[in-house]
Amino acid sequence: MNKAAIKRMTRRTEFYIFLVLILMIALIGIISKGQLFEPTQIVTILRAMVVDGMFAMCSLVVMISGGFDLSFPAVSALSYSLATTICLNQGWCQTNPWMGFLLAAIIGWCLGMFNGWIISNFRLNTMIVTLATQTFFTGLSMGLLQLKEITSTLPNGFKEMGKSYLFEVYNSAGLRSTMTTMFLFFIALCIITSFVLNRTMFGRALYAIGGNEVSAERAGYNVKRIKFLLYSVVGAVAGFTGMIRVCMASQSIPKALVGKEMTIIPAVILGGASIFGGEGTVFGTVCAISIITVVSNSMLLVGIDTYWQSFFNGLVILIGVTVSALQAMRQKH
Amino acid sequence: MSEEYLLQMTGICKSFSGVRALDNVNFKVRPGKVMCLAGENGCGKSTLVKIISGVYTKDEGQVIFEGKEITKITPAEATRLGIQVIYQDLSIFPNLTVRENLAINSEITAGRKMVNRKRWDATAREALSKIGCNIDLDAKMGELSVADKQLVAICRALLFNAKLIIMDEPTTALTKKEVDALFVTVRQLRDSGIAIMFISHKTEEIFEISDDVCIMRNGKNVYSGQTADLTRRDFTYYLTGRELVDDRFVPTNISAEPILEVKNLCMPGKLQDVSFELRKGEILGVTGLLGSGRTELALSLFGLAKPSGGQIILNGKSVKIPSPIAAQKLRIGYVPEDRLTEGLCLQQPIADNITLASLKRLSNALGLLKKKDIYEDAAKWVKIFSIATNDPKKNASTLSGGNQQKIVLSKWLSNDLDLLILNGPTVGVDVGAKQDIHALVHQLANEGLAVMIISDDLAEVVVNCSRVIVMKEGAIVGEMTGDAITEDNILEIIR
Repeated sequence: MNKAAIKRMTRRTEFYIFLVLILMIALIGIISKGQLFEPTQIVTILRAMVVDGMFAMCSLVVMISGGFDLSFPAVSALSYSLATTICLNQGWCQTNPWMGFLLAAIIGWCLGMFNGWIISNFRLNTMIVTLATQTFFTGLSMGLLQLKEITSTLPNGFKEMGKSYLFEVYNSAGLRSTMTTMFLFFIALCIITSFVLNRTMFGRALYAIGGNEVSAERAGYNVKRIKFLLYSVVGAVAGFTGMIRVCMASQSIPKALVGKEMTIIPAVILGGASIFGGEGTVFGTVCAISIITVVSNSMLLVGIDTYWQSFFNGLVILIGVTVSALQAMRQKH
Repeated sequence: MSEEYLLQMTGICKSFSGVRALDNVNFKVRPGKVMCLAGENGCGKSTLVKIISGVYTKDEGQVIFEGKEITKITPAEATRLGIQVIYQDLSIFPNLTVRENLAINSEITAGRKMVNRKRWDATAREALSKIGCNIDLDAKMGELSVADKQLVAICRALLFNAKLIIMDEPTTALTKKEVDALFVTVRQLRDSGIAIMFISHKTEEIFEISDDVCIMRNGKNVYSGQTADLTRRDFTYYLTGRELVDDRFVPTNISAEPILEVKNLCMPGKLQDVSFELRKGEILGVTGLLGSGRTELALSLFGLAKPSGGQIILNGKSVKIPSPIAAQKLRIGYVPEDRLTEGLCLQQPIADNITLASLKRLSNALGLLKKKDIYEDAAKWVKIFSIATNDPKKNASTLSGGNQQKIVLSKWLSNDLDLLILNGPTVGVDVGAKQDIHALVHQLANEGLAVMIISDDLAEVVVNCSRVIVMKEGAIVGEMTGDAITEDNILEIIR
């Protein structure tokens, strides 16, 4: 590696966020007297990363294209609530949960298409549109469809799926923890997202549109179609992720994801995605999600009151946005 | 190629909702020549370009390219024929690498779905080799200089086997040195047989680079022919439709005592020991290359940059200028270089823009605005400056560049000032409006205002200034007065 390449690497946010992650782990590891490195603790943290990490991927691709999606938790909630309700009423998914996943993805796809249709056709500010549709979807779920919480009656297939695991680990006190199968979905989504972003013209189009939309259009990209496709796919992934959450929590609660965007989006920004579009990587995002999960899961270990969690989240928003703005400033000069 | 003309356009007409943007325009481009399309803002230049590049369709007229009539031009068809437009904003992606910027257009045009790093690299290298320039392919586009960005945009256009390259006001953001480098490239392209259509309104550049010239005014082409057959005087006449005489500024009202004295002003890496004085009624030019410290000097006098040492004496009193508000209290006005981002609220009415700096005067004791006074004030300035609008309630964005600049000026002048600092006052302003602005600045100076003009447009400095200081690497390296101010003298010091 030559000098220029090293210099470029050290100028990337991802480089620093990775350093911060390592530091954070070392620090908490020391404070918690090694408890952080107990296999059960590691498994718990990885488990907590699955749903947030998958949502972060949705948020990441939208932000790269220069947009903001505030509606993905609402899309996700409506998709899984409706899908589980249908499965329950039809008596589906008693042994095999895949029908539920398919349904949730399809519903999410439709809701995403609605977002995409409005955004690409009317060229509106994505934040405003998704803020509106977020409220609209939530209203649809609670008011019009009267979707209820499903807990003990949740179809067995979902419960089984949630309990399935890859391997089990024990801590020094002999407590058992399992590595959920759902983790594979997270890994798969990260690989797919990274592949799409770096190796397909569609992925490069997202960066191009985020960098300069007019130029992207002049270069020959069909910006309208790309945006429509982007928001549709994000909707489908959000729906699918919601179903994973249902399995892992063994319950379907329509209100469970309210406000989720307010922790996910700052994390994605912290991971190096620019609020102005055109920047962001899967690696940076995963690092940022790891930091947030490690810290919030370690607060009890270290003996910090969990109320501090919102303080910490606020801090992350500030740091992330400041770094993003500083970077944009540096590029301008 | 046996054809005498690469592109021939005859009788082109185009209307937008009943308004004629192009009226019977005839237009020819020879292969291997540089043709300049000149005209003031809003004369139809960009409409014509958009017709050639297929963005708009013409209403009437005939387009012949390489001897064949072309009835319907789409952007894709234009690319296939070898017509490439390099827009003013260069259509680049600042967040992507140079490599990607070079390769992405051809990849999209080829309908690729996947990214092939090797092929991208080969394409990018091929593009750069076309004009033999050497730019780091891994560098981020946004971090390049404007001149390098332009080279990348040119290289990218060449990948499409361009026969005609249209450059839309390419020199706007460039320094003189960068313009010279660009012209070397343009000549290189011309000599390889490519026709260049160069859009500009800068007289000197047009005479320097072009073989042919086509001048447009109000949607008609008023002159087309070889540049050599045209004098500068004729050129200006065709461009503006009026005889313009650039009166050299003669100070008539210089005060005995200096109003401003700057002593040993320093700023690490920006300014070194800058000392000068300025009297009422003078127009002082501050010139030098980009990065010479001329802008930093202006900013420190307006409280936007903090000098580390030195003294500023205003009206005999030593003052500190920590902020623009403080500067305004000291009756200093500043018109920034980039009026669009720093000097104007484009989406606000013209009247509000004009009165923005004098709202204190135009509000009552409770701080509520006196709307009537605002409009009266605005109407007065619209008249004085002959700002081309029928209604000051319209947004500033509806005006041309020259008229926008007049608004920025009047914003400051509507407050009583002692010192007015103009940074690049006529950048991107067309010849007619430029003349108006110059005449007004002369008048103001003779009424007793002290004016500082910061500019790298030497012709402008020569015509307007009664005294000039030349800066280089943060220090003053030369000063001249009166008839000693000539472009040659200044250039000698700068180099």
